[in-house]
Amino acid sequence: MFDYLANPTRFMRLADWLLRPLALLATGLLAAGLYYGLLASPPDYQQGETVRIMYVHVPAAWLASLGYVALGLCGLFYVVWRHPLADVALRAMAPVGAMFAFLTLVTGAFWGKPMWGAWWVWDARLTSMLILFFFYLGVIALANGFDQPERGSRPAALLALVGMINVPIVKFSVDWWNTLHQPASLIRSGGVSIDPAMLTPLLLMLAGTHCYFAVIVILRMKSILAERRIMTMQLRRAATAMPPDGGTG
Amino acid sequence: MTGRAMSATVITPLGAQIRRDIALGWRGRGQALVMLGFFLIIITLFPLATGPDAAQLRPIAIPVIWIAAMLASLAGFTRIFADDVRCGWVDQVALSPLPLALYALAKAVVHWALTALPMLVATPLMGLMLYLEPAGMPALLLALALGTMALTLLGLIGAALTEGARGGNGLLAVLVLPLAVPVLIFGVLASTPADGGIVTPHLMLLGAVLLVLLALAPLVAAMALAEAEAETGA
Amino acid sequence: MVTGTRQNHENAPLAPTTGLVIDGVVLVRGMRVIQPALSHVIAPGRMSLLTGPNGSGKSTLLRAIAGRLRPIAGSISCAAPILYVGHADGLAASLSGRRNLGDWAGLNGLPVDAPGDAPGDAGMIDTALASFAAGPFADLPVRMLSRGQRRRLALARLALSPERALWLLDEPAAGLDRAAQADLDRLITAHLDRGGMVLAATHTPLGSGHDHDELALEAHP
Repeated sequence: MFDYLANPTRFMRLADWLLRPLALLATGLLAAGLYYGLLASPPDYQQGETVRIMYVHVPAAWLASLGYVALGLCGLFYVVWRHPLADVALRAMAPVGAMFAFLTLVTGAFWGKPMWGAWWVWDARLTSMLILFFFYLGVIALANGFDQPERGSRPAALLALVGMINVPIVKFSVDWWNTLHQPASLIRSGGVSIDPAMLTPLLLMLAGTHCYFAVIVILRMKSILAERRIMTMQLRRAATAMPPDGGTG
Repeated sequence: MTGRAMSATVITPLGAQIRRDIALGWRGRGQALVMLGFFLIIITLFPLATGPDAAQLRPIAIPVIWIAAMLASLAGFTRIFADDVRCGWVDQVALSPLPLALYALAKAVVHWALTALPMLVATPLMGLMLYLEPAGMPALLLALALGTMALTLLGLIGAALTEGARGGNGLLAVLVLPLAVPVLIFGVLASTPADGGIVTPHLMLLGAVLLVLLALAPLVAAMALAEAEAETGA
Repeated sequence: MVTGTRQNHENAPLAPTTGLVIDGVVLVRGMRVIQPALSHVIAPGRMSLLTGPNGSGKSTLLRAIAGRLRPIAGSISCAAPILYVGHADGLAASLSGRRNLGDWAGLNGLPVDAPGDAPGDAGMIDTALASFAAGPFADLPVRMLSRGQRRRLALARLALSPERALWLLDEPAAGLDRAAQADLDRLITAHLDRGGMVLAATHTPLGSGHDHDELALEAHP
């Protein structure tokens, strides 16, 4: 009776099967990436040791952007096919994406202080990331903004969809604004050409954070599903405890 | 949705809906006045914060007017659908020949006319008080007109999505303002044309944003309203 | 004389239509299944009364048939146009009853302009108002009216739009006095006589002249 929304067994089985290898992979990749990044790679000839922040900053920025695309896809799946798991995934992903956006901003500030001489610079990429962070906050707030939690699902999915169309426009407008207000030469950071000694740890970290992202999202999905099962069980108990014609709202 | 074999076109229903919204807006015109007052007060606060120096105020006049317009508009968005959902009118619209997207669009148009238009009318006066050159007014007004329209459409999305939510205005602001960044950037740029001409690339970009929202916002609002509940409970 | 044709129209048989078929519908509220599998048929000219305890999903079912929420499984099919009078009356509190009714008629493309523009148009609204004796308070803002008076204005739509074959009524008699209940009975009976269909969630008997089916919902824990 209660299984329609609360018990996607097949997903649970797949998630359980994936979780352990993914977690192992994430740990291994991150450990190797951190070792190469922090110890076994040379400092940059211009940026010195601060370049090592990049090994966290770049993957974080990558996942913050990827998370937003994934969020939009979840929204699409939920709005069009009403797949309950898409809603669960959306709710699971939004805080993780927000965390990576926040990490990008913080590491950007750490990097900016020695490089630019200021904790914050209104650089186009940082500004777009800040707005993306706000957008994540909006999705989270909307998904949890209703007295009956499940009523937030559809609005949050629609917002994620709107974001998919609107966030690129935001990015474009911020780039435009930035080139108008700041000389382009000031905002050059790491170029396209990158030393292989730095590429190895960067790729390791990228792969590792992706696995980490997947692990965290699966864990969160599992916990959200468990939470829902608990709630339906409590509802059932409340209902059976009442006299047959008692109202349950 | 099952049986809607009505031969009526959407023109009569749309007209009826617009007339109804105007009547409702007119009866609730106090709210539009409050928004106008909010707009004027935000602008008045800036000279009090920065000091009355014209050299200081002139460069921030246009940004200040834009921010004031955005914040004041934001104050009115939660009301767009609230009464219609609560009293069950949206249920009746959903069963009528009028598509929900057109209903939402009618709401946006009337809301803009009743709330943003008064702000536009007051803008030249506020501009003068911030030592803006009168010659710059047409560009500002045109950009502000397009910008407030785009903003109203974003507000339409926000209002439909937050219908029935707890957060109210604060939640709506968190949703709408990040998405309103392009409107602000292109709007302010279009309000300060470098070479005298009014139709600048920035105005066109603002127009493009407006067109995207014009296509997007009513559809999203309709999808959000498709299952909006009048009352919770049995 | 428009009023006259109106009356005739109201008594004229409806265009033949298929009935309402509810097949295996599952209703969910929150994360709870409140009805695991509902099936029911209403044929033209028939009325079903929807009964059941609070929380058994009567309003939810009506909303699902009206297309205002999608059942999680099962199908609802009905080719007939629907007239839905829900829990909420659909009346704007700051407008008059007459204005509300006129707006509703306009929304549905009925040939009514702003009330009072043409004598015939006003007649159509007046006829509908008169069917629930709502004329005396029709020009007051709805916010000044009692619950029962609002209900009468909401139900006056039944008289305004006779070509809608399927009536979905959610506690239509709530707050009505005896006279208004009789008015409602009369309208329902006439509607059924013309081949219309009625599904009403109610605790009081309706449409006394007709026998009816009962769709009794049980509370599902």
